[in-house]
Amino acid sequence: MKQMTKKLSLAATTVILASSLAACSSNNNGNGNDTAASNAPAASNNTSTETNANLPTLKRLDVFQGEDYAAYPVAKLLEEKTGYKMQYDMLPQDNPAQKLNLLMASGEPYDIVTSYIDMALYSDYAKKGALIDLTPLIDQFGPNIKNAISQQSMDALKVDGKLYGIPNIITYPVGFGILIRTDWLDKVGMKMPTTTAEFEAVLQAFKDKDPGAAGAQNVPFTIKGDLPMIDDLVGAFGMPNPWNDVDGKLVPRVLDPAFPDYVNYVSGLYAKGLIDKEFVVNKDATAKEKFSSGKAGAIAVHWADIPGIADALAKAAPDAKFTYVPALKGPNGKSGFGANQGFDRVSFIPKSAKNPEDAVKWINATLEPTTFKELAVGVEGTHYTVDNGSYTPILPIFNDERNLANNYMVGTDEANYPQYWQARVRKNPIMFEAFDTLNNKTADSDKILNKLSVAPYLENYSKNNMKLETMAGDYTVKLIAGSEKLDGLGDFQKKFNAEGGEASAKEVNDWYATAK
Amino acid sequence: MHSKKINDYVLDAFIYVVLIAMGVSTLVPFITVLSKSVSEEWAITSGKVNLLPIGFQLDTLKYVVTNNQFLHALLISVLVALIGTLASLIVTAMTAYPLSKRELPGVGVIIVLFVFTMMFNGGIIPSYLLIRQLDLIDNLASLILPGLISVFNMLVIKSYFESLPQSLEESAKIDGARNYTILFRIILPLSGPVLATIGLFYAVYYWNDYFNPMLYINSTSLKPLQLYLQDIVMNADSSSFKMSAEDMMNVPAEGVRAATVIASTIPILLVYPFLQKYFIKGVLIGSVKG
Amino acid sequence: MNRNSRWKLARSNWDMYLLLVPGLIFLLLFKYTPMYGVVIAFQDFNIFSGIGGSEWVGLEQFQKLVHSDDFSRVLTNTLLISMYKIVILFPIPIVVALFLNEVRKMFFKRTIQTIIYLPHFLSWVIISGLFVTLLSPTDGLVNQIIKVFGGDPVSFLQDNSFFRSVVVFTAGWKEIGWNAIVFIAAIAGIDQEQYEAASIDGAGRIRKMISITLPGIMPTIVLMFILRIGSLLEAGTEQILTMYNPIVYDTGDVIGTFVYRMGLGQQDYSFSTAVGLFNSVVGFILVISGNMLSKKFLKRSIW
Repeated sequence: MKQMTKKLSLAATTVILASSLAACSSNNNGNGNDTAASNAPAASNNTSTETNANLPTLKRLDVFQGEDYAAYPVAKLLEEKTGYKMQYDMLPQDNPAQKLNLLMASGEPYDIVTSYIDMALYSDYAKKGALIDLTPLIDQFGPNIKNAISQQSMDALKVDGKLYGIPNIITYPVGFGILIRTDWLDKVGMKMPTTTAEFEAVLQAFKDKDPGAAGAQNVPFTIKGDLPMIDDLVGAFGMPNPWNDVDGKLVPRVLDPAFPDYVNYVSGLYAKGLIDKEFVVNKDATAKEKFSSGKAGAIAVHWADIPGIADALAKAAPDAKFTYVPALKGPNGKSGFGANQGFDRVSFIPKSAKNPEDAVKWINATLEPTTFKELAVGVEGTHYTVDNGSYTPILPIFNDERNLANNYMVGTDEANYPQYWQARVRKNPIMFEAFDTLNNKTADSDKILNKLSVAPYLENYSKNNMKLETMAGDYTVKLIAGSEKLDGLGDFQKKFNAEGGEASAKEVNDWYATAK
Repeated sequence: MHSKKINDYVLDAFIYVVLIAMGVSTLVPFITVLSKSVSEEWAITSGKVNLLPIGFQLDTLKYVVTNNQFLHALLISVLVALIGTLASLIVTAMTAYPLSKRELPGVGVIIVLFVFTMMFNGGIIPSYLLIRQLDLIDNLASLILPGLISVFNMLVIKSYFESLPQSLEESAKIDGARNYTILFRIILPLSGPVLATIGLFYAVYYWNDYFNPMLYINSTSLKPLQLYLQDIVMNADSSSFKMSAEDMMNVPAEGVRAATVIASTIPILLVYPFLQKYFIKGVLIGSVKG
Repeated sequence: MNRNSRWKLARSNWDMYLLLVPGLIFLLLFKYTPMYGVVIAFQDFNIFSGIGGSEWVGLEQFQKLVHSDDFSRVLTNTLLISMYKIVILFPIPIVVALFLNEVRKMFFKRTIQTIIYLPHFLSWVIISGLFVTLLSPTDGLVNQIIKVFGGDPVSFLQDNSFFRSVVVFTAGWKEIGWNAIVFIAAIAGIDQEQYEAASIDGAGRIRKMISITLPGIMPTIVLMFILRIGSLLEAGTEQILTMYNPIVYDTGDVIGTFVYRMGLGQQDYSFSTAVGLFNSVVGFILVISGNMLSKKFLKRSIW
């Protein structure tokens, strides 16, 4: 009996505990007044609260970041500069669109929502009437917004002639390239390759002479399994971007007349043992492992990945030196890197927002040029120094206080942000050098604009793009690894067109004809 | 007699060899992750860390464990797992007991109704709307109530109840005991092994649950550990799509991810060894009968 | 008469039904209330329009799945991998539980029990990464052993003749310890007197294992088996997603991975609901049939 009473009382405690938990956390939703802010672990600033007692607390939904939004120094800066308190929630890292959809559809009262750009989602929200038309609000309260955001950017986000979102621009054109060990080049007595033929000769020398002394584990050139379209090499065959201009029309790579040439070249490299034999199973980390342990002579990689690789390589092979291979010329003399313009995020104000006017006022305040600069790079002398117009961060304070600043931005000072932004790249000199090689030292003629990165919302293209890219990528992997032959290309192209390739191409080119 | 002993030795040797081989092989991945969590980052990036740590250091683990968000999420997870497991165990046992009496009218239909929900569900949207309607969004109860009864667990308990000797209950009934008294005073005390097992299953479910908090929790201050862990670990796996250069530069190092995995897994791993004492066989049945 | 006596039985056990109340409320509220969502599978659902405002499209979503070129390949792979997993992997945890039961040294037993359940707690991303390293044809441990014995290295993860075996093996390896727990607990529930009686009759350990322990946990085995076949169409999406590559799609691409890869389920609620419903119907039919067959031939059943 004793045991039973004990169990029952335990059960009772449980119920009470659970219900009290329910009681204390249900306020947090901000359904009523925004009492939630006092619960949030905000670095509250008493003085500013008192002076701005009349302003509402705004609620913002933002992308995932590893640190608490409210506790990060930028939050406090923005509170001081705008006068508004902000309560931040964030989307999960994994499948953020799913949660965003639920929150938008159920009308959660967020005043500002920022997400990674997904034109299909954005325009669906706009068309279903879930977003507020920003034009009148910006006309009334947003002089700084008008100055900061270019007309071109605004136009790109218009849905049925109305503006519902404010974009954050992409700040650099080129991301991926082929990183090569220059000390290996010296060891095998060769110069930096400038053509695809020379590149192949270099890889052959890497294979034959094994300058890294890795024996059976020597890999001349490693790539990861899901990126069979190798930047720089695709450019040498005239296909630097996913869709390229062929005789005045945009054509996806697998339908491009140059596609078989590219496949022949790369599958040739693979068959001769010049590309990583195991590339199909390579995850991102596996490919990097091979390069940073000194077993691989070259790797296709984004410049932002360089700090980790460089640190590891410095320990594993202290004499190692590397740089990006410049734009290689192909057999027909073509060359170039795919270059992106456009946006990486978009912010909007849902219909369910409680304080849309204040939200626009807030955005306007953050885009005031000096405020935006302090948001982006901090205070001169404290967070950064300027030399000849180039911004250099002061470490480690820049890392601690401005690393995540871009997550707080709603729109950018488009004229100046790319300059401020390079301070981030200068955090690591090796990374900056690589970035500089790809973006600043590459001739403009070799930075070939991805036309679709500045296209407006194209329904069929957006809907099918991911599926088509996956199909094309998988097929190309099989071609390179030799498990499919080019004789089947015609059949594949038919399937590709049937699965939405044709519909996308028509829509893309209807737009392209008007945009030229 | 002699040959039987030899047989015993052979059997023992065989069993020990098999179990040790399994034990060794299953230990490998955990040791690898553990080693990464205490190795220097360069060694991990270049793929040199396998079984043994390289450049032993505890800073990464310390950094992870002393992180405020981590500690907060840990607290939430412990709270949810504790309350959830207790509540689930009680309700599940209460449901399983009547359902173990097949002779009662209606029981068969109710079991089928339960089993049906193991296969069919309405999907994310109606569930989300329900939780919203109950005003449980951003409320820790939303992490417990939707998973209060696992039909699988309920069936395991039911099956265990069915295997208990009928005679126990019959004698109690003759003494005039009511069913709930029998459940709490006779049946449950005899159910140590199964309650420990199901308790473990529930604890692990609540601990590992990522989906419910991802859907129903918005504010950072209520996020449990799995959500935190998933965010940190996912971060690096999606590197090729949608990530801007800033995000790539801010991806947590692999060592940090390994340390987060270790720090968030060890608490739940400790539950099993602790519960194992309840797996001691049939002691209770003997004592009640005797 | 019969009806009368059933009614009487029910009335005299009214408190049994009272015990059921919390469970039934839970079932109705959290399981059946949202069930209306399955109709999304027959719509072209838009989250803003809701179920009321979305267009009805009949079986179009199912046709999208079934009519795609790759469906027969994907379905075959799903069934094969799933059946291998059931036939090969279902018995192993039972054997492990039986073995552990024979171990007299408590410390050893508990240590092994705890260790073999560790991999269950690591995600497939981590486990797959480990196996990519172990199975690498150039420097993986497995191929080094093959080379020592004079064999040629095998590219396990790039070879259609090995890929399914790797999937089945790694899945077993990850979950054996975890799946054994329920059997270990069932063994612990067996009445000790049976063993004592058998000892007096001079039964050996293997005899006792086969004629007492195994029948003792048979209800659990039957229950687990019936429930297991209910998830026949889930061949391990998360696992395969982290292990496969285009070269082994021919043998490794299953329904879950196919749907995921084609991005078909991405925010396409109708299609993902349709795929889920397809899985559910097949699973439910299998569970019902399993229960019926088991009732007929083994005299045991869930209901």
